[in-house]
Amino acid sequence: MAGKAGIRVENLYKHFGKGDTLVRVIEGASFEVNKGELVALIAPSGAGKTTLLMMIGCVEEPTSGTIWLGDEKVYEDKWLTKETRKIRREKIGFIFQAHYLIPFLNVIENVTLVPQTNGVSEAEANKIAMELLEYFDIGDKARSMPSALSGGQNQRVAIARALANKPQIILADEPTAALDSKRSVDVVKMLKKIAIEQNVAVIMVTHDEAMLPLCDRILKIEDKKVVSEPVPKEGVAIL
Amino acid sequence: MINLAQKDVQHTLGKFLVTAMGVGMLLGIVLIMIGVYRGMIIDAQVLLDDIGADVWVVQEDTLGPFAEASRVHEDLRDTVRVIDGVKSAEALTFQNIQLPQKPSPVRVVAVGFDPFGTVNPVSSKRMVAGRGLMRSHYEMVVTDKTGYHVGDVIRLLRHDYHVVGVTHGTVSSGGEPLIYVSLKDAQELQFSYSNNRIRTDRARGIEGAEGHMVNAIVARVKPGYSIDEVAKNIETTLHKGVFTATQERTLLTQNLIKMASKQIGMFTGILVVVSTIIIALIIYTMTLEKIKEIAIMKLVGIPNSMIVKMIAQETLLLGVLAFIFANLFSHLIYSKFPKRVVLEIPDAWMLFAVVIVASLLASLAGIKKVISADPQAAIGG
Repeated sequence: MAGKAGIRVENLYKHFGKGDTLVRVIEGASFEVNKGELVALIAPSGAGKTTLLMMIGCVEEPTSGTIWLGDEKVYEDKWLTKETRKIRREKIGFIFQAHYLIPFLNVIENVTLVPQTNGVSEAEANKIAMELLEYFDIGDKARSMPSALSGGQNQRVAIARALANKPQIILADEPTAALDSKRSVDVVKMLKKIAIEQNVAVIMVTHDEAMLPLCDRILKIEDKKVVSEPVPKEGVAIL
Repeated sequence: MINLAQKDVQHTLGKFLVTAMGVGMLLGIVLIMIGVYRGMIIDAQVLLDDIGADVWVVQEDTLGPFAEASRVHEDLRDTVRVIDGVKSAEALTFQNIQLPQKPSPVRVVAVGFDPFGTVNPVSSKRMVAGRGLMRSHYEMVVTDKTGYHVGDVIRLLRHDYHVVGVTHGTVSSGGEPLIYVSLKDAQELQFSYSNNRIRTDRARGIEGAEGHMVNAIVARVKPGYSIDEVAKNIETTLHKGVFTATQERTLLTQNLIKMASKQIGMFTGILVVVSTIIIALIIYTMTLEKIKEIAIMKLVGIPNSMIVKMIAQETLLLGVLAFIFANLFSHLIYSKFPKRVVLEIPDAWMLFAVVIVASLLASLAGIKKVISADPQAAIGG
């Protein structure tokens, strides 16, 4: 698949258990997220948002279906590579509700860990990391430990980490849940900016309706399928 | 490339060092136990080396004088002296006595010998103060561990003994401190009975001749003679128990302390196993404490090999640090033990090899946990 789609999901199913304990979470989800697009993924709690995100992120194996990440088909009823971790490392940036930084690494080491693992030299990785940290206004914290930073600063470090491997896709699981409303808007605007400037497909799981107008599109899990919703002009209750 | 183990250890340096110190103390005890065993071997040979006899003549059908009780007549010495090939022969006594030391009495082994004879068990190289015995009566040389000094007077039975010399490192095969007295004094200490006992014996028709008994006759062989042949000749001629110095050494090192060494060997083995289990538990706990970070690393794509390397490096570092602490600890405390503890470098290296193997085995539990860690555990959901 060549073109502008960063993520393409076709007829994706995810079931847990079997027999009497079978739980159908996703039933035939199909959607695309384009490069340069920030898409919100919404649904009530327990509807399978994180599961869907983890399937796209090559962490949770789907039951069946097809997943394309950029030009590479990674799943078609089975993983098409044994190295799903390599795909994550090279193509995907993860951002979570909490920053989940490695506490025994300082800020710049947290950011450069994945690029260095990908074979980027320490000097080059440090250069990339410093550019990102400067971009997020935390360049002066490069040698600080995560425990010495505020929640907002740590979240910016986490975003820098997600970008350090120059990913094609960013999967953000409620990145604003732990932030106040001002910080939340800043983070989502930042993701939007990154999506455009770096031509990255961004899926952001959120419960915060105030963030939806900042997104390009909304995907909603409804009746175990993924449907597209219009972006509300104002804070309209759609959850 | 970032060394995860180094970063993690730096982050929790204090805790890591304290843990290594704890394991090190445990391993230090292993070193001490091996040292106790080595000390027993050396202790067993101190007296043999100092006496320097070629042949030991003891009571027939016994393994005396150390492994079994032995009594022979003192004048057997004169008979041994005339055997072909014998250069010199002397009588010796060995007996356990208790010195009235304060605050608590000291149990010692008293060696009785003729101060004017050809065999002097008080080795000049072990003398740290005073002199050897120069009189037939009431002089005593003591080892420093008894706590007595030159000039001290010790009351034993009916007489006062003057400490004229102090030795260092002289112990019996059982590890008790040695004292040296003249043969006549030793015989009196060993075979003197109270007047009442003497009267009772006489009433029973027992005329004591024990005052002239000794525990062994030791002989030196003339140059050019085979020790084995002279020993055989003495045995054939006198019908006594005869051992060469080599046989006596074997009796001491292999037979007498065999059980003790087995016991220490078992203790040491158990301690090594316990240390391995403790290292395994520590590594497993350290891994569990990091399981969230490990899950995050797996989630963002860090390969298992890097994480396993981190665990293995931390385990090895813990083992090496524990080994260093073990050596420091054992060298700090070994001289405080009442009996000889000998710390030898080959034993330390052997323990090092055991610790490294044990550490690597111990890390398996932690590594298994790493491999099975679910990346999704990082975020729940």
